[in-house]
Amino acid sequence: MDHATLVFASVFPVPTLSHTTPTPLATPDLGYTAPGSSFGSPFAGTPGAGQQHRSVKRNVAWSTATRFLGLESSGTSGRGGGRRTRDVEEALSYLLVGEGRLHEGNGRSEGGLVEWFTNEVRMHFARVVRPGLRELWGKEVELRTAWDILEETQRILAQVQNLYSQPFSDHIIPFLHQAASNMTIRPGACRDGQVVDMEIINGPKRTFQREIHAAFAHSLPPKRFSKTLSHVLYDAGCRLFRFYIRHDGVQASTTPENSKEVRDRMTALLMGLESVGLGGDKAQKAFAHAMNKIIDTFISSHYVKVDWSSRRSVVADMRNWVENGFCPLVELVLECLRCESTDVDPAQLKQWQEMALNRLGRSRVENLFDFIINWDHSVGAILDLKEYLKLDGAKEHLKNSFSRQVSRRLLHPGATTTYVLNVYISIIRAFHKLEPKGVLLQSVARPIRRYLKERDDTARIIISSLLIDVDDEASSKFASNSELSYEIASEMAKPFAHADATDDEFNWNDMNWQPLPHDASPEYKKSKVEDVIYFLLTLWDREDFINELKNILGDHLLRCQDAEYQKEIRLLELIKVRLGEDKLQACEVMLRDMLESRRINDTIRTATETSKRQDKILRTPEGPTRGLRPRPPTSTPTSAPAAPPAPTLNAQILSSFFWPVLRDDDFHVPAEILALQKDYETRFERIKGMRKLRWMNALGESRITLEFEDRTEEFEHLTPWQVSVVYAFQPQPGEEWAGSTRKGKGKAKTKTPGITRNIEQLEESLEMDEALIRQAIAFWVGKSVLRETAPSTYTVMETLSHSHVDEDAAAAAQELAEVQAQQTSTVKSQADVLNEKRDVYEAFILGMLTNQGNMGVGRILMMMRMMVQGGFPFAEDEVRGMLVQLEERERVVGLGGDVWGVKK
Amino acid sequence: MALSEGPRASNSAANVASRLQKELMDIMTHPTPGITAFPSSENLTTWTATIDGPEATPYEALVFKLTFEFPANYPYAPPHVVFKTPIYHPNVDFSGRICLDILKDKWSAVYNTGTVLLSLQSLLGEPNNSSPLNGQAAELWDSDMDEFKRLVLARHKTPEELDAA
Repeated sequence: MDHATLVFASVFPVPTLSHTTPTPLATPDLGYTAPGSSFGSPFAGTPGAGQQHRSVKRNVAWSTATRFLGLESSGTSGRGGGRRTRDVEEALSYLLVGEGRLHEGNGRSEGGLVEWFTNEVRMHFARVVRPGLRELWGKEVELRTAWDILEETQRILAQVQNLYSQPFSDHIIPFLHQAASNMTIRPGACRDGQVVDMEIINGPKRTFQREIHAAFAHSLPPKRFSKTLSHVLYDAGCRLFRFYIRHDGVQASTTPENSKEVRDRMTALLMGLESVGLGGDKAQKAFAHAMNKIIDTFISSHYVKVDWSSRRSVVADMRNWVENGFCPLVELVLECLRCESTDVDPAQLKQWQEMALNRLGRSRVENLFDFIINWDHSVGAILDLKEYLKLDGAKEHLKNSFSRQVSRRLLHPGATTTYVLNVYISIIRAFHKLEPKGVLLQSVARPIRRYLKERDDTARIIISSLLIDVDDEASSKFASNSELSYEIASEMAKPFAHADATDDEFNWNDMNWQPLPHDASPEYKKSKVEDVIYFLLTLWDREDFINELKNILGDHLLRCQDAEYQKEIRLLELIKVRLGEDKLQACEVMLRDMLESRRINDTIRTATETSKRQDKILRTPEGPTRGLRPRPPTSTPTSAPAAPPAPTLNAQILSSFFWPVLRDDDFHVPAEILALQKDYETRFERIKGMRKLRWMNALGESRITLEFEDRTEEFEHLTPWQVSVVYAFQPQPGEEWAGSTRKGKGKAKTKTPGITRNIEQLEESLEMDEALIRQAIAFWVGKSVLRETAPSTYTVMETLSHSHVDEDAAAAAQELAEVQAQQTSTVKSQADVLNEKRDVYEAFILGMLTNQGNMGVGRILMMMRMMVQGGFPFAEDEVRGMLVQLEERERVVGLGGDVWGVKK
Repeated sequence: MALSEGPRASNSAANVASRLQKELMDIMTHPTPGITAFPSSENLTTWTATIDGPEATPYEALVFKLTFEFPANYPYAPPHVVFKTPIYHPNVDFSGRICLDILKDKWSAVYNTGTVLLSLQSLLGEPNNSSPLNGQAAELWDSDMDEFKRLVLARHKTPEELDAA
């Protein structure tokens, strides 16, 4: 606005400078003529006339002052400038401190100059500045422009604030000051006049400032603003603390930033915002949000990652960060925002640390299952959790969350029992670290234990794993064979720590004593022996476990090659310590049987002097007598011309009462072996008095040498029935065979094929089960000893041909034999239990009917289920089948209506 | 094994039950001709046994039923065994009670139901006349075997007759 315009405007008011009347616009009160007074003399001495006069004067002054103070509507450059002329000064003085001042008594008809100016500023802001801000804030603020927008906003606002307060402080404050000082000089001023002065000056000033700050604040969308501010603070925090993984999706720059720069920028921005009135409550709230996010980010940042390498807790680091990293930032921000108290209260600090710990704990709990699986490396995480558990409600959360994880990730049919066991062991170890009292373990392990109990193979896997030697070459089996748990085996190999005999709860000198956790049940008693094996062995009732142990130990002993049985002895001792000595008598007897057998063998061998080669045999006894498992001896189906080494026999004598039910297939062993058995038997009876041996030909192990026309082969670890079958291919007296030429009996018939037998013949001569014969034949075909020449007919391969047919057949048979061998264990399989045990079951039925009188099938079945040791896994149909068979043999009679009785 | 045990069912009761089950199993797996025994009910502590009279004795071709009651501390105490079939025998009184040392002071935990029944079977052929419960039978055994046999047959009842009674 040039000077000419101003001059012109001072004479002829222009619309743009129309604020020439006091706000609110009101018709000046021209007064009125009182009745009886002369009309038309405004200057009459009446009060009304004085009023009128003042009004005019004020109007003039107002016009001058407002024209002077008025803000230009275009642009932010502010007032037209110009110095204060005398008129203006007078007018201002008149209006502000002189008579034109706003009087209480004048009602609302006149506006004060300060109010007018405030309004003017507001209008100007709305007209000129706000559209600009709108543009900035009109749409969602993008995160990466947040800083810029805030800074721009702050800049604009600071500028306009400056613009607005300049005239205020230049042209209004001095007059107020003057007035104030006048008042102080005035007599009768109150003692605290100084305070009043300040009130006079500061009151309007504060009001003015509040008004423009309110205008500023209202010009911005409040939510968007606080969100943006919060983000900027969060961003600053992330940069200051160098968090690389952020929660807002912004990719952190990889180059390290100068934290001082960031700090300065943030401080400047905050102080600027505070100065234009954008600090205060809103900014504090935004900062609180940012703090929250910063803590979250910290928890997920690399600073408090699980310490996998040095395996320690990061909780201390975290507390340290909260105290020495986070708190100073907070203090700085609070200072910038001019909060009342900028110091962080120690109680508050503690609260923050707990809050951070709580979040850390929760994030650890979420992955607890993974930590458990990687136990040992994850000690750090577990130690973190240990700290976390001290907080309220942490235990419950951990328990619930972990149970969920376990049921989702572990207790499903897809997990092998070995895997479940291994994880359970890790859980035991980890939770023992987490809470040595074991209460927590007890509650989280309950579903796992229940689940393990339901699985059929759990006991078998545990016990077989216990029997495995970790350092053994067999340890390579762990990878391939999922039936064995390396964890259990290595646990067993650990030295067994003897628990202190003293009761912990009554050890008054225990300075580390701690009460049980509050969630322990009143009867909770920590078991003294607290290692992994203990937990595994207590999965079942002792009895069940020992039965299973007996079965597996029996099988193991029979297969065992170690003559000293050192490992087995050690294992038994270890289990005795854990389960109590009294229950393991049977196992001890089994072990002693093995050791004693060796002694007896030695005695008998020296007595007979016949043995040149050794072979072991084994049996179970009968009633009070003892049994032997024969290990059929070296047999030579095609005996050599020279005197073949005589077969030898070693026996293992088992006390049948203590051993589990063993496989007992009846078949004929080769005659030579039978003779040896008889011999052994007589000598044994001589040594052991009245005891009798019952040979169990199905068990045992043999080594034989086979001599063919073109080769000689040795076989080890054969089962007796395999030997018996191949032995049956020996020529019978009078039979002619290819090998006879070598035997030197004279008739040179080189073209004669090898001895041929068919399955039926073998079944007859050996009195062996067909299934078993076929299994043995498959084995020998696999070894290229026999060849199937016709269906179910086999011939010895005296000369090894290399035809593909033979090789293929051999390969196929070998495969078959391997599969079958796996199905044949020394301890009885369930498959043919009914047939094997038919005699026993029949004895049960007969005993029942004889002693208890006639019975219905249902009742018989019920009694069988109850009385048969080891269970009776059959239904009424099988019972009825057996009864019908018994009836055919005239042992029972059907009395009709499914009731049966013994035949008299 | 669901045994109907009393409220005081304890570990010892379970031990007795498992021992008896084992014995039952032994009897069934190694049956002795002429001897059978079987629990009377779900409760394993009472059994019924049947023995055939041994050949070449006055009891030949006769069948005798007995009851066994096993005490709670079995096998450390002998079972209480009584003849249910009326029997005329020097060592058995008219209510069936038996005088046999192994069922009294000579009892040992190595005995079991099977061995007791075997002993009883042999007792039929070889009574111990030095301490009879039935004096008349003891005297007749030594003096008048025909009269003894007559009395045995007169007193004997078949299981069917017993059931009918």
